[in-house]
Amino acid sequence: MLLAGWRRLLSALALCLSSLPVHAAGFEVHAAATSLEDDAYQLTARIGYRFGDEVLEALDNGVPLTLQLEVEVQRVRKWWANETLAKLTQRHQLTYHAFSDQYLLRNLDSGELTIHPTLGMALSELGAVDHFPLLPAEQIEAGEDYEVQLRVSLDIEALPAPLRPVAYVTPAWRLSSEWYTCSLTP
Amino acid sequence: MLLDTLKRLTSGPRPVALLLVLLLASFYLLSGAIQNTALFGRLYSLLLAVNILALLLLIALIGRNLIHLLQQYRDHAPGSRLTLRLVVMFVVLALAPVSVVYYFSLQFLHRGIDSWFDLRVEKSLQDALELGRASLDGRLRELLRQTRLAAGELVPVPDSAAALKLNELRQHGEAAEMTLLTLRGRVIASASMDPTAIIPAMPSEAVLQQLRQGLDYARLEPLGEVGMHVRVAVTLPALEPGAEARVLHALFPVAERLSLLADSVQETYSQYTELAFLRQPLKYSFTLTLSLILLLSLLTAVWAAFFSARRLVAPIRDLAEGTRAVAAGDYDKRLPLPGRDELGFLVRSFNEMTYKIAQSQQAVRLSQRQAEEQRTYLEAVLGRLSSGVLTLDSDGVLHTANAAAGQILGAALEDSLGQPLQALPGRHPILDQFVDALLPHLDPAEPDWRAELVLFGPKGRQVLMCRGALLPGIDGSNDSEQPGGGHVIVFDDITTLIQAQRDAAWGEVARRLAHEIKNPLTPIQLSAERLRHKYLATMPGADAEVLDRATHTIVQQVEAMKEMVKAFSDYARPPQIRLEMVGMNRIVSEVVELYQTEQRPISFDMKLDPRTPTIEADAGRLRQVLHNLIKNALEACGPDGAHIRITTHCAEQTGCRYVELSVCDDGPGIPEEMLANLFEPYVTSKPKGTGLGLAIVKKIVEEHGGMIWVENMPEGGACIMIRLPVKKEKPRDEAQDTRGED
Repeated sequence: MLLAGWRRLLSALALCLSSLPVHAAGFEVHAAATSLEDDAYQLTARIGYRFGDEVLEALDNGVPLTLQLEVEVQRVRKWWANETLAKLTQRHQLTYHAFSDQYLLRNLDSGELTIHPTLGMALSELGAVDHFPLLPAEQIEAGEDYEVQLRVSLDIEALPAPLRPVAYVTPAWRLSSEWYTCSLTP
Repeated sequence: MLLDTLKRLTSGPRPVALLLVLLLASFYLLSGAIQNTALFGRLYSLLLAVNILALLLLIALIGRNLIHLLQQYRDHAPGSRLTLRLVVMFVVLALAPVSVVYYFSLQFLHRGIDSWFDLRVEKSLQDALELGRASLDGRLRELLRQTRLAAGELVPVPDSAAALKLNELRQHGEAAEMTLLTLRGRVIASASMDPTAIIPAMPSEAVLQQLRQGLDYARLEPLGEVGMHVRVAVTLPALEPGAEARVLHALFPVAERLSLLADSVQETYSQYTELAFLRQPLKYSFTLTLSLILLLSLLTAVWAAFFSARRLVAPIRDLAEGTRAVAAGDYDKRLPLPGRDELGFLVRSFNEMTYKIAQSQQAVRLSQRQAEEQRTYLEAVLGRLSSGVLTLDSDGVLHTANAAAGQILGAALEDSLGQPLQALPGRHPILDQFVDALLPHLDPAEPDWRAELVLFGPKGRQVLMCRGALLPGIDGSNDSEQPGGGHVIVFDDITTLIQAQRDAAWGEVARRLAHEIKNPLTPIQLSAERLRHKYLATMPGADAEVLDRATHTIVQQVEAMKEMVKAFSDYARPPQIRLEMVGMNRIVSEVVELYQTEQRPISFDMKLDPRTPTIEADAGRLRQVLHNLIKNALEACGPDGAHIRITTHCAEQTGCRYVELSVCDDGPGIPEEMLANLFEPYVTSKPKGTGLGLAIVKKIVEEHGGMIWVENMPEGGACIMIRLPVKKEKPRDEAQDTRGED
């Protein structure tokens, strides 16, 4: 009995570590741009979210997923590392509401809740970042180059504790996009 | 200083005990975290990482200890075997129960987690969910129908009057909010149950999209804090052709009880499905936590084994090293006290033992030094003594011999220390006589003795005044029945002293004799000659003859007395001795030649050894000696003839080379009573002797370092024996000399 349990654990770990899921899961920032509105720079981005089967299974079984958008505004320096002017995060929690058979998307920063009949609708809502305020215009000096970096990731630390060790060692759970860089333009 | 403090704080059991307590605390938090308690849940990963890190540290610590121990074991360090044995024993003792507990804990854990889940419960929850949905489905349909009716009533109402109608419809339909808007999402009018709500709840883009497709929307929506609502959206036909289609959007609250029940079902179902989904990860997590705890227990046991074994073995190792040090002669070794237990007692006893041994050693060294100082002192004193000092132990082994002893005896005694007295002549033949003379006195029955020894060695005749005493034994006893610590023999060379005393005494006698007798002799002689000269011619024949005879006798006797006085004078003040190398055989031959013309029948029987070496002597005096001896022999034999045997030979006795000369006659021999002092002046058996002949002979012989004695021969007659020392140089010269004479 014990041996069988160990064997299952080991085989699961080996499977997790050895291969990526067939259907390629992952996050990707498709596009991002900034604009100056009301004396503040704002970010607009389009992000694609694709979950693997393990994550989808967890979501459908009531495990809430926390997705994090990290944005950094940096002043570009030629001979030195860039200076970070602002570090911003936006977290959304995606849950499945079994009673109503809908997906709830809650902005953890603002508390705003949106309800989506399908996961696709919820993810497309999540992937559309509009008017995300970056920083006031007065912080930007003329003649300097600025750029915005952003990426999205699944927050493993927000998962239920028993799932975390598995999530840390399973590629299907370690979901994160590459850093996407765009210049800060009005 | 700081480093020392740091090292003290980070070494020993305290930091590890602290680490263990922290680990246990973190394990407690970890197990709490798995239950998903909010605070612990946040710390779960950190705790896990900390624990794994701490365990790795513990493993590294134990690994280092193990490597160190194995190295010590290979090097056969003292105590390493015992430490290894204790460690293995502790580990085995810890491993067995922990493994059993681990196995059964895992069993119980997995079964316990599995027991949380039941298909019937799951089915019931599923059914409850379905029931809830079904119960609301009718309401949903009713509300859709109701909204559609309201929409039908709104169709002819222009936008400007819609608000009023909308409010009426909302109140009638018991909706929480009703909004009329275009398909693009522009609000035309809105009516809400909440008079403070300014912004209406808008349908999402997805809902509008569905409406654009001509499909009405009716769905139950959990709106968080405000509870469950039913959202319904229906499209209104256009008021006039070409006008934008409108949408009636309504939110209907679900009855509070229904909403609560629905929330409860949703929450329970969600929790159950989540838990069911997390069943396997939960098992992994618990297994991981339990394994970590098992590892911690095991590693703690291993570390405790190392620690305890080291603590236990340290005093034993110290004792082993201490014993080795003591065996190597290091008695100053002190061991640290491990505690107040039996080992501490053992170590304390060891320390006391080494302390006492060290003290004894110190005392022994002190005694040795004192003894050495005393010995040096004694040696210095003995070395400065003019008397010879020898000490023998109870077995007759020579222990001490001072420089004067060697000088007096003429032998280097330093190399004979530790040899038995009897063995000394083997190394130094010269000591033969001395040892022979001593041995009779080395009797424990004779505790204190004094003797005068006469030796004959390369220095000639030697008279030693010896005093001996028994030495006290080691225990201080001087019991004659038990041999003590040996003998001490002190001796002085009194040859010169005796000679000087004798010379002085006889010189005085001779001087007085000459003075008292010689002075009146000349007047007596002159008076006699005057009487003869004056009266011989005048006196008649018979008287004249008497006078002639009388005066002749007087003159003759006075002459004789003058001779005698001269002899005494010569004895008292002998001329300076002139030493040269002379051959004894030649001297003998020359002197004997003078007697060949004697009237009397004298026969000389000469046996002269041609190997007789030359000696250092005054040839004139030697002739005088021979004359005296031959004259003595002739006088002893009487006028009827004499037979004199003269022999010389070279013999080696006790390693000393000497020339022995014997002059023997066939006379009556020496009376026994005279034998003892035959060579003293005025001792004579002859009616006409002066009594100085043999005294002079003896004096000359002694001046040459020789020895003289007399023996009566068994067949009759007497033999005068003389021994004269031979210088060791040029032993062949005399041989050649002698051969030349022969």
